[in-house]
Amino acid sequence: MASSSRLAIADTTEAIPAISTADLHKHYGGLEVLKGIDFHANDGEVVAILGASGSGKSTFLRCLNLLELPSAGRLHIFGEEVKLRPGDANLRIADRKQIDRLRTQVAMVFQNFCLWSHMSVLDNLMEAPVHVQRRGRAEVRDEAETVLKRVGLLERANAYPAQLSGGQQQRAAIARALVMKPRVLLFDEPTSALDPELVGEVLKVMRDLAAEGRTMLIVTHEMAFARDVSSRILFLEKGRIEAEGSPQQLFGGGVNERFDQFISRFSQG
Amino acid sequence: MNLGIIELLGFGSQGWGGPLLKAAGVTLAAASCGFFLGSLLGICGASLKLARAGVLRTIGHFYTTVFRGVPEILVVYLFYFGGSVVLTNAMNSGGFPGFYSLPAFAIGVIAVGVVSGAYQTEAFRSAFLRLDRGQIEAGTACGMSKLLLLRRIIAPQTLRVALPALGNIWQSVLKETSLLSVIGLTELLRQAGTAAGSTRQPLLFYGAAAVMFLIIGRITGLILTRMENHLAKPWRR
Amino acid sequence: MDWPFLLDVFHQLLSGLPLTLQLAALSLSVGFVLAVLVAAAVGSPFPPLRWVARAHVELFRGTPLLVQIFLIYYGLGQITPLRQSFLWPFLREPYWCAILALALNTSAYTAEIIRGAVQAVPAGEVEAARACGMSGFMLRRRIIWPIALRQGLPVYGSEAILMIKATSLASIITLTEVTGIAYKLISSTYRVLEIFVVTGAIYLTLTFLLSSALSLAERRLHAHHKPS
Ligand SMILES: Nc1ncnc2c1ncn2[C@@H]1O[C@H](COP(=O)(O)OP(=O)(O)OP(=O)(O)O)[C@@H](O)[C@H]1O
Ligand SMILES: [Mg+2]
Repeated sequence: MASSSRLAIADTTEAIPAISTADLHKHYGGLEVLKGIDFHANDGEVVAILGASGSGKSTFLRCLNLLELPSAGRLHIFGEEVKLRPGDANLRIADRKQIDRLRTQVAMVFQNFCLWSHMSVLDNLMEAPVHVQRRGRAEVRDEAETVLKRVGLLERANAYPAQLSGGQQQRAAIARALVMKPRVLLFDEPTSALDPELVGEVLKVMRDLAAEGRTMLIVTHEMAFARDVSSRILFLEKGRIEAEGSPQQLFGGGVNERFDQFISRFSQG
Repeated sequence: MNLGIIELLGFGSQGWGGPLLKAAGVTLAAASCGFFLGSLLGICGASLKLARAGVLRTIGHFYTTVFRGVPEILVVYLFYFGGSVVLTNAMNSGGFPGFYSLPAFAIGVIAVGVVSGAYQTEAFRSAFLRLDRGQIEAGTACGMSKLLLLRRIIAPQTLRVALPALGNIWQSVLKETSLLSVIGLTELLRQAGTAAGSTRQPLLFYGAAAVMFLIIGRITGLILTRMENHLAKPWRR
Repeated sequence: MDWPFLLDVFHQLLSGLPLTLQLAALSLSVGFVLAVLVAAAVGSPFPPLRWVARAHVELFRGTPLLVQIFLIYYGLGQITPLRQSFLWPFLREPYWCAILALALNTSAYTAEIIRGAVQAVPAGEVEAARACGMSGFMLRRRIIWPIALRQGLPVYGSEAILMIKATSLASIITLTEVTGIAYKLISSTYRVLEIFVVTGAIYLTLTFLLSSALSLAERRLHAHHKPS
């Protein structure tokens, strides 16, 4: 029933997808949160992941960065299979080095920013490139300053996170992800913790990133943003992909009843 | 006998100033070494108490319960007499008859270190538990290894949070070193006792020891507050 | 395991328990009364009183208890008027010296606990009481002290536990309470670990009983926070 309404995306390109999952499962104890997700995102795609609270959006995103280990299924990142081995409840990491390397390519932006509070903004940006990717300090610093300038925070480079507004913190967190030169950006409700008047500045940064052709997976409740910016919508319900398609198709209505119901709640609210 | 206070506490041939100052150095050295040993034990203890394995947690719990619940002086006796029993047995069975004991300074540092380690375990543990999980997760998400995460994120933040509690523990350690006078370490209190005995001026010399403890506590306290303020800088608006 | 020996040690140590308990109970109660006075003096509008109280707190918190014990036990005899006063028969005794030192020591810590607990009373609740027309003693008795008691009790509990441990220092001025007996046993038998274990068990039992009693009291005081 779920697959009937799934719309095939034109697979014209034979290119390797940026990220793909096959039959991804995740359960916590007896609770099955992801019930077999088959998904792929091509390079340059902006995928908005929508769904009701508790539908498994965050869990799915966190599995892509291996912050959560799936219970079953396979995960490829740019054609490279993430090495997992069977474990008790969840799969286990088979190759730490591989995971740590892939994580720098699949950067994550969190709802609560999660900037390191004991470091200045600049140090936050330089931390992973210098210590994980082992790039040269000077090069990283230049890169960090370029990125900070992009998100409009260059003059706050030496401030500590506690001294920034929420919107500034989230822009700094996006910058922190960008300096790693990731090939995919994951966003988990990046504006949900922000005061309404600060949402715009963060969305603007994300719009610019989308416009320059970055691969992004965005969990969001900002429907207008999802409709305007994404190239594809992924609608999750109860741990399954309930509907999938271009924003024009899905937001046009009539494709999937559940999705229409979900949307109507937002347009009313 | 009729020397004035100045002469008694001075640095002349009749004065006790020199020995007292030296003893203050011993107090400070014993306290510092004991506190440092306690920090190592505290980090180990906190790791045990935070471990996933139940056995390790039990060991950690046992350590803190015993050494925070038993009088410090008893712990000093344990290591003082216990140390000499172990050493004497080892020497005797190795063909060296006689009675042996470890130097009082070493015993004192171990005793003070083990006790303060139990308190520092709690300080480190509760500081760790108060860390923001999200920041650790953000590190993981950037591909940091466990060790790197520990070194760059967890350790500095835990230290910052634990520092006020560690400052209090340092003050107790400093005062606890006075117990080492009973096992013959010539620290401040014992030196004051010697002076009091030979001059029959207990009020003066124990008073002097008290003042010196106050001064050492004050100065080291100020240094620690400085450190605290320095480390807290990122969290001020 | 040499059970007969352990049992023998246990019996001998128990004979020191009454003294340990006396020292703890007396010094805690005297210390508490002193602490209330000191805390009141710290908050008094009369500066010299404030200074004396602050000095008391600084002095007894900033120096080792053993130094305080020696100052009292060996030092007071040097003060001639004191030697001639009616107090001397008491102050000559190690027992009363220990109690005096322990009480003064705990009074300084407890005064700080009291001060902290009163300061932690939410200003809003005090204002609400003032708005109802309460003031002075009634405000204190009906609002401030009950709230402060709930806040201060857990901290005071740890102080009381520290005091039980601190009574062990009385053994250094010849009192044969539990630790004094343990010391004699250790230095005569050199069976260090066994005696440490038994002595430690006695102190752990005491502190366990005390903290259980305190958490019971706490639960009673906080009964109104429980959902009915
Ligand atoms: N660590 C965990 N342990 C147990 N259950 C969990 C855990 N994390 C998530 N869950 C459960 O998994 C389900 C999906 O959670 P998830 O956070 O993925 O939802 P979501 O779609 O992101 O929702 P929201 O919009 O509220 O963020 C929920 O029922 C949640 O209670
Ligand atoms: Mg979520």
